[in-house]
Amino acid sequence: MDAVDVSEHYEVTAADNSPSLLSIVLDTNPRAWAALDSSLSLAQAISNILVFVNAHLAFSNANQVAVIAAHVNRAVWLYPALQHPSSTTVKDNSGDVQMHDASAETSLPPPSANKYPQFAQIESSVFSSIQTLMAETTVQDLDQLTTQLSGALTLALCRINKAAQALSSSDTTLSNAAPVNATAPPPVKGRIVVVSVSDSDPSQYIPTMNAVFAAAHNQVAIDTISLAGDSTFLQQACFNTNGIFLKAANPRGLLTYLMFGLIPDTEARASLITPTHDTVDFRTACFCHGKVVDTGYVCSVCLSIFCTPPDNAECLTCGTVLALGNYGAKPAVLPRKKKKKKKIANGSGREETGSATGTPRP
Amino acid sequence: MADSDGEFVADDMSDDDIMDHTVTDGDPNAARPKGSKPAKRKRDRNGGSKAWEQSRRTWETDLPEESDGMLNLAGYEAERRRRLLRDTTPLQRGIIRHLVLVLDMSFAMAEKDLLPTRYRLALSYAAAFVREYFEQNPISQLAIVGMRDGVALRVSDMGGNPAEHLERLREYEGQDPSGNPSLQNALEMCRGALFHAPSHGTREVLIIYGALLSSDPGDIHDTINNLVAERIRVSVVGLSAQVAICAELCSRTNVGDDSQYNVAMDETHFKELFLALTTPPVNRTKEQSTASLLMMGFPSRTLAPGGTSSYCACHSQPCREGYLCTRCGVKVCRLPSECPACGLTLILSTHLARSYHHLFPLRNWVEVPWAEAARSTACFSCQSPFPEPPKANKEKGKDEAAPAKAPAKGVSESGRYKCQVCDHHFCIDCDVFAHMVIHNCPGCQSQSQQAAAAAAPLTDGVEANGNGHTTNGGMMAIDG
Repeated sequence: MDAVDVSEHYEVTAADNSPSLLSIVLDTNPRAWAALDSSLSLAQAISNILVFVNAHLAFSNANQVAVIAAHVNRAVWLYPALQHPSSTTVKDNSGDVQMHDASAETSLPPPSANKYPQFAQIESSVFSSIQTLMAETTVQDLDQLTTQLSGALTLALCRINKAAQALSSSDTTLSNAAPVNATAPPPVKGRIVVVSVSDSDPSQYIPTMNAVFAAAHNQVAIDTISLAGDSTFLQQACFNTNGIFLKAANPRGLLTYLMFGLIPDTEARASLITPTHDTVDFRTACFCHGKVVDTGYVCSVCLSIFCTPPDNAECLTCGTVLALGNYGAKPAVLPRKKKKKKKIANGSGREETGSATGTPRP
Repeated sequence: MADSDGEFVADDMSDDDIMDHTVTDGDPNAARPKGSKPAKRKRDRNGGSKAWEQSRRTWETDLPEESDGMLNLAGYEAERRRRLLRDTTPLQRGIIRHLVLVLDMSFAMAEKDLLPTRYRLALSYAAAFVREYFEQNPISQLAIVGMRDGVALRVSDMGGNPAEHLERLREYEGQDPSGNPSLQNALEMCRGALFHAPSHGTREVLIIYGALLSSDPGDIHDTINNLVAERIRVSVVGLSAQVAICAELCSRTNVGDDSQYNVAMDETHFKELFLALTTPPVNRTKEQSTASLLMMGFPSRTLAPGGTSSYCACHSQPCREGYLCTRCGVKVCRLPSECPACGLTLILSTHLARSYHHLFPLRNWVEVPWAEAARSTACFSCQSPFPEPPKANKEKGKDEAAPAKAPAKGVSESGRYKCQVCDHHFCIDCDVFAHMVIHNCPGCQSQSQQAAAAAAPLTDGVEANGNGHTTNGGMMAIDG
């Protein structure tokens, strides 16, 4: 029975918990959300995500949140929203900042007594930004089928990097400015949760992968909840950064997926059993036909991938003439041996010398 | 020596003497001389300070204060910018590398001019080098060789697993450096290790050399000739002073390029020189770049069915998940590797993607003058606010003050940096992060290609900004 004694639990000293920065990348592809509308509308999804955000903030006072929209043609900050030049604080001649009432400066509704002000602030910022985003979307923008995922990931990483630098003094000294993979834990537990509804865009492969490697370098986990679509890149991203990839079979339960699967931060995950990646598709698309291949030919100069050896042994990307090695070579046909006419042994060819071998010729 | 205190100045010293003995530190605007240029050193001898006198310890980098008590961080920012401003011409590089790291473990490494000792520092930087090398070059190979007691010592064999190298390096941490180094023996061992490297990969040697001598069994010039014939490139980072044979070695094996031999001035400079070699080398001649087409498999990660485990063919250990060779179906447990059964190179496509940023680098961002600064109030990517442009009524006072504190080279007076393709403004932190780590422009990635083209119709280089897919073909140039 000693095994179930929980007294050890109380002996754990309170560790110095570093703040956790949660960045949410919301895929706002209008077509994909319209297709999903019967089970989960965008408005419902946003309110579910806001509950998730509030839960994250409630864990610790130091926790931070950023929300980014990956739209069809651009990536936009939803929270903290970009401030317009008109609403900046005005300094008077002595350099003091003019004080305003919070409600006078911005058009926020008066704070409700029933809501924690920070929650209300995030909510209003996200709602107003997404309304402007949708209002600015034109019909031409809808021609694109995928979203600007790489941009949203890049923005989220820049934000996490800035937050980490603000909190650590040692990282900014010159001796550490060189990009060395530090084994020490980062000052901010950053992670990115992607709510994905659309397919991966092959043209964004390299920027997305650059972002993924930067995330792995800074020990930022990328988690994905995929509501619809085939998000191969995100699957690889989650695998490379030790994140969680969840495919939501039932999009209506978004909040449940978020709260049960994605709420623990990177530190808490070490002591939990997280959803595993059973199979990850690592096949790649060839540069010549866009075919998905599992065995390909790679140019040693520019690392382009081809599904068949290119014509004239010339790389299609960099134009280098490649030594093909033995690939794609035609099987060599042996020329049939022509029968040599046998010389008549006892003929007048040469004199009988008695030795079996003939005289060596020069 | 009556007094070892640094501030002690004898009364009878002339002013010139005092100037000679003062360590110059404060001026961050002065360009740091390269330790490698012998001609420059001779020039320095006549006037000005010696190269080692310009070395800066961390406690000597004092940040100048401005009149209002604020720290002037311009020099600090200039240093950060200097590190990331580099040539962004997409050069052809040897991406598949075979490198031997040669560490000096001779008596000279017991010196304490680099703290704690040269040996300890070199080993800890070597560990950092191994990690960074495999992060930057995931499909490359590395071996480590030591020089001690007049012989070459094999630390670790040619291999692609960083954990293996780090483990072997750790074994040498407790040992003391001893004996003479032998450059020739080490080079001959490197030649043997690189003998089997395929022709499409590079063959490189990086030597960390603390001693000023080499005790060799034969003529080292023969060895150098052999190295040239086998197209092995040698780079040397010296720790004490320039040595003629190292300079000759580097310049002969690098087609006359003498920038591969550098002498470290202090710890920071040493680390900078050491880690600079993690970037793939530029191909200079046709012989260095034998291009070929490689057949590779891109296996997907699979779980053994039904929660069972099976043995992997590479380590003969039971494991649940693994990768199946795409040609013969053998199970391997970690990538990149070579299929133990059929010899096919098995890699993840992400490993290839890791190297693309060397081939298609992100363009440098430019400084933004105050005149253009008004249209942005916060960094586009991290939302941190920028300093406001100076008011018009303060213009007179500013004009007088401006020449006095002209910003250092490479530092934007408005604190903003602009990507020339997408015209967005960024802060210094995001500039460093985007160019050193992420290799993406947050602005360019945040808008679609059509929008980018509309925003900047003049630049035809929209495509070439760190994105290999849409690059206009055939633009990789072979240098010289």
